[in-house]
Amino acid sequence: MSAGKTITVHLKVWRQPGPQAPGRFEQYTAQDISTDMSFLEMLDVVNERLIARGEEPIAFDSDCREGICGTCGFMINGLAHGPVRATTVCQLHMRSFSDGETLVLEPWRAKGFPLVRDLVVDRGAFDRIIQAGGYVSMNVGGAPDGNAIPIPRPIAEAAFESAQCIGCGACVAACKNASAALFTSAKITQLAILPQGDVERMSRVLHMIERHDAEGFGSCSNEGECEAVCPKEISLTNIAKMNREFMRASLKPKA
Amino acid sequence: MSSSSVGTKVLIAFTGLALFLFLIAHLAGNLLLLSGPEAFNAYSHKLISNPLIYLAEAGLAAVFLLHIYKTVRNFGRNSAARPTRYAVKKPAGHTSRKSLSSTTMIVSGTTILVFLILHLKTFKFGAYYDAAEPGVRDLYRLTLEVFHKPGYVIWYVVAMILVGMHLRHGITSALQSLGAIPAGRTRAVLTAGAIAAALIAGGFALIPIWVYLFTQ
Amino acid sequence: MILDSKVPSGPLAEKWDRHRFDSKLVNPANRRKHTVIIVGTGLAGASAASSLGELGYQVLSFCIQDSPRRAHSIAAQGGINAAKNYQNDGDSVYRLFYDTIKGGDYRAREANVYRLAQLSVNIIDQCVAQGVPFAREYGGLLDNRSFGGAQVSRTFYARGQTGQQLLLGAYQSMMRQVERGTVKAFANREMLDIVVIDGRARGIVCRNLLTGEIERYAADAVCLATGGYGTAYYLSTNAVGSNVTAAWRAHKRGAFFANPCFTQIHPTCIPVSGDHQSKLTLMSESLRNDGRVWVPKNPGDKRHPNDIPDADRDYYLERRYPSFGNLVPRDVASRNAKVVCDEGRGVGDSGLAVFLDFRDSINRLGEQAIRSKYGNLFDMYQKITDENPYREPMRIYPAIHYTMGGLWVDYNLMSTIPGLHVLGEANFSDHGANRLGASALMQGLADGYFVIPYTLAHYIAGTPLATVTTEHDAFGEAEAGVRGRIDKLLGIRGGRTPRELHRELGRVLWDYVGMSRNDAGLSHALERIPQLRDEFWQNVSVPGDANYLNKNLEYAGRVADYLEFAELLALDARHRTESCGGHFREESQTPDGEALRDDEHFTYAAAWEYTGDGKPAALHKEHLTFEYVKPTQRSYK
Ligand SMILES: Cc1cc2nc3c(=O)[nH]c(=O)nc-3n(C[C@H](O)[C@H](O)[C@H](O)COP(=O)(O)OP(=O)(O)OC[C@H]3O[C@@H](n4cnc5c(N)ncnc54)[C@H](O)[C@@H]3O)c2cc1C
Ligand code: HEM
Ligand code: HEM
Ligand code: SF4
Ligand code: F3S
Ligand code: FES
Repeated sequence: MSAGKTITVHLKVWRQPGPQAPGRFEQYTAQDISTDMSFLEMLDVVNERLIARGEEPIAFDSDCREGICGTCGFMINGLAHGPVRATTVCQLHMRSFSDGETLVLEPWRAKGFPLVRDLVVDRGAFDRIIQAGGYVSMNVGGAPDGNAIPIPRPIAEAAFESAQCIGCGACVAACKNASAALFTSAKITQLAILPQGDVERMSRVLHMIERHDAEGFGSCSNEGECEAVCPKEISLTNIAKMNREFMRASLKPKA
Repeated sequence: MSSSSVGTKVLIAFTGLALFLFLIAHLAGNLLLLSGPEAFNAYSHKLISNPLIYLAEAGLAAVFLLHIYKTVRNFGRNSAARPTRYAVKKPAGHTSRKSLSSTTMIVSGTTILVFLILHLKTFKFGAYYDAAEPGVRDLYRLTLEVFHKPGYVIWYVVAMILVGMHLRHGITSALQSLGAIPAGRTRAVLTAGAIAAALIAGGFALIPIWVYLFTQ
Repeated sequence: MILDSKVPSGPLAEKWDRHRFDSKLVNPANRRKHTVIIVGTGLAGASAASSLGELGYQVLSFCIQDSPRRAHSIAAQGGINAAKNYQNDGDSVYRLFYDTIKGGDYRAREANVYRLAQLSVNIIDQCVAQGVPFAREYGGLLDNRSFGGAQVSRTFYARGQTGQQLLLGAYQSMMRQVERGTVKAFANREMLDIVVIDGRARGIVCRNLLTGEIERYAADAVCLATGGYGTAYYLSTNAVGSNVTAAWRAHKRGAFFANPCFTQIHPTCIPVSGDHQSKLTLMSESLRNDGRVWVPKNPGDKRHPNDIPDADRDYYLERRYPSFGNLVPRDVASRNAKVVCDEGRGVGDSGLAVFLDFRDSINRLGEQAIRSKYGNLFDMYQKITDENPYREPMRIYPAIHYTMGGLWVDYNLMSTIPGLHVLGEANFSDHGANRLGASALMQGLADGYFVIPYTLAHYIAGTPLATVTTEHDAFGEAEAGVRGRIDKLLGIRGGRTPRELHRELGRVLWDYVGMSRNDAGLSHALERIPQLRDEFWQNVSVPGDANYLNKNLEYAGRVADYLEFAELLALDARHRTESCGGHFREESQTPDGEALRDDEHFTYAAAWEYTGDGKPAALHKEHLTFEYVKPTQRSYK
């Protein structure tokens, strides 16, 4: 059974009071941190001490704390969601760090994700990308029986793989172009390969990419950093698929 | 459409691959140098004297210009997508394809552009020597003269390293942009792309070195 | 006040159809003249926003997260029930209805539950059509599994991420309406008060969490879909931002709160590892299909579990419940874990855990088979605990998971404030005293996609609604109240953090209003809670200001509401001297220690009315009648 061990880590945290205000790194020391704590629980402890002293705590986002809602996320030592593969910061545990280590915490940085405060950014752009076409246009009430269209299991599985994206934004944060290609392509792929999404696949891909660009995200240079940091391990093949869908849609004469 | 991020990348990929194909052809022709003046001059004469060459040159120029225009604009847009840099940023490792090559595409590309301008000045618009046969340009002699100067040799070898780097990321990147990598073959394609890049760069670099070492 | 459930007349199976026919309709051209506020974007809220948007109403949708897609529903793992009978194993609408009533220990309204079972079928069709990637069989048809000890396989699932996939489907539908302009989505907004004008819910007051601005929104009707109050206990499987604030503020404006003591405790969660812990993680119920639950026979046996021979192990569920064994319902499994831990036989550093052992099934089926069934759960367990469950038994312990109680609603999902509708986990629900696994998702979507479009139209069409603007005095009064409270929180500048106080409250609730409750404990809790509340209002520390993102301020407000709500929770638990479902009163058990209902005195939903600060809540009873399913004593021996 895991022995309760404690460590001390030094933090350099980006503090910025508001979107317009200048920011800077502040140093904190987190002492007696149990290695069983999650990274966010470690920050809770730091914040508790700040609050008790009447100082403003470090603002960071989280909700489910089990790696599924996509609310949490920031850079730890230059890595989105920190050093452990396929893991959000809320599921990252302190046993991944060693005693005395210095950790630099920075928010996601991208034009499409304006900074709100400290480690919190506004990811509303993701909603607007989905809004541009990331759905099947059907109204409640008109659905045929669930088994009316059989879907081969491999297709259902592939669609599921793409559908797992939690919209955390780590892909954008890690990409040198701050591109949201992985996020956008995951939704496009899920809906393009399912029969339900087939009808609108042409317009969907064009609209979503247009919105992606309008939100200020860059293009994809195929570096694959996004895939490597993605907590759900969304694959780069989604981007390839999106590009193929795009070419198909662009070549098709306008209906 | 072609102005969208994906449209842009598709164009860059197509033009990049076209340039890659040109390089293969160009390398194949240039390697004739190794088999002596007759073969090389005959080959280049055949090329130059073909009336279709103007069309081909115009096409090639267009491809180059398009590639450059798109990549430079794309670079600008991508830089603007991250107005504030990270204080600390590390490569993610794992499956990432990030490499020195992938992060320096604009540097290698710009170097290629500079190289190209100088290259055309040196060869296409360089000294005109008549070959033994009337009406044939002795490009063999020109090439030998150029590469007998160590400065040129070094510059060409350096430039070819950058070409190699550009292609090391470029070839497979283009295939990925076009969604042309077959499922489950990613690793193999990445390796093949790197080998192809090395062969092209090595092949080109061989020529100045060979000329310098073996034809003086 | 007589609580009128408005259950339509007629035979059970025809009630909903008749009701729909009898309901008034709003002319399509008139719908866009009506504004509807929907607070919450979980399964219930997002599905309601999309379906009302599709119909043409002007919908204003609010959530506290930075995106509607992050509502707590996203975390649901196991699946969603529907009476499709695709497996030909004897399922039917009636059987789902029956199981839900029985599972709820006869404390739910028959008509609602029947409607839920009927609509379950449409939900699956709807979600499939949206592109939700449910698990499928090789033939391409939808796969099902049996869940939570159900006798039929009626649970549809998308690996261990069913809630995520269903919520994304609903969210996407809603975003489609945002693009069409029928829904306006306001993320990062916390509803802090309901505005009641002429006795009807006509708007809300919110705080913009990013800028701190207090905003007013007016509408013809308000729907709350703000989820459950499990985080009152501090540690629960709920998202850390879950709260009772919206429901509680509505309660203080006149909405009755029903059955708050009906809370569900899930038996298989990863145990607490220390004081730092901020939430608990659920391990799917399905693990009990192959894992065996045990503790050492002797207290203080500190050997490594693998070194404890079978002779010294007590497989207490198999021993006590020979026929159901490890698959007894959630409440039974949870309570028994507590009993053995109270006997000093709990395991782990804290002594608050029992083993869930896969050794035997690994020996029988092979590690590969276990991996393919539970691989992702085992990985998650290892990530959190750093222990390998293939090599040594998991340690598990019960945790608060779901709350059956909530704002009282009638058959139309309307609360006791006319115009205020309550959907999803936030209402007092169709689950009675205990919810069956995979039924919450079903209820949320049924409410939002299929019930509210009819009942809301009926309300709007049948009610004279004078034009109201946000300039109305009632908005001013509500806003002043909200501002006053925020200023008060900021003004205290004490020395204790909201989290510390929340943790203390959680401990009181867990110890005295948790898995096993008794009169003395509940009375003690009723003494402690007001003390904690006083301590909070005298000594809480909320640094900073209100005009920017201040998460600690948000949190302090939620804890303050929990400190008020907790008292009602304990009061309800003390008043209900019977045991039923998730509510176990030690005074009311069978000779062999099982829950004993008292149908004679408690066949009702307890709906509490707020009567003013510091005054005791007033109890109203909605008596429940069982025409179709006759109450019997549950037994799993
Ligand atoms: C770990 C876990 C696993 C589960 N697994 C299953 C399962 O397998 N099957 C099943 O059927 N059920 C499951 N459940 C239960 C189920 O997930 C929930 O009951 C259900 O999702 C609740 O949905 P909801 O729409 O009512 O509310 P929620 O999803 O909780 O949404 C609440 C919404 O209200 C908003 N909100 C809250 N307060 C405010 C406020 N003051 N102002 C503005 N907005 C506010 C939030 O932003 C959010 O959008 C599980 C629960 C947990 C915790
Ligand atoms: C060592 C390597 C190289 C050698 C020896 C070489 C040689 C030559 C020669 C002799 C010519 C003149 C042909 C003519 O005038 O018709 C030429 C033209 C040209 N080369 Fe190269 N080259 C080399 C590498 C490259 C590289 C790396 C590029 C690309 C970036 C390149 C691009 C060109 C182009 C575009 C032309 C003009 C073709 C035309 O106008 O038809 N060359 N090269
Ligand atoms: C013979 C010459 C060249 C060849 C064969 C070539 C080939 C390629 C290829 C195949 C790609 C990958 C396309 C993709 O990612 O989809 C690429 C990308 C790129 N090229 Fe070139 N290129 C050449 C010249 C140039 C020049 C002159 C520039 C000038 C600036 C340039 C700049 C770039 C840049 C910046 C990229 C990266 C685009 C991105 O980030 O996505 N290239 N090139
Ligand atoms: S693709 Fe991965 S990294 Fe990007 S938002 Fe989705 S889950 Fe996060
Ligand atoms: S890291 Fe960026 S360059 Fe493309 S492959 Fe991922 S979006
Ligand atoms: S808090 Fe939900 S993913 Fe981390």
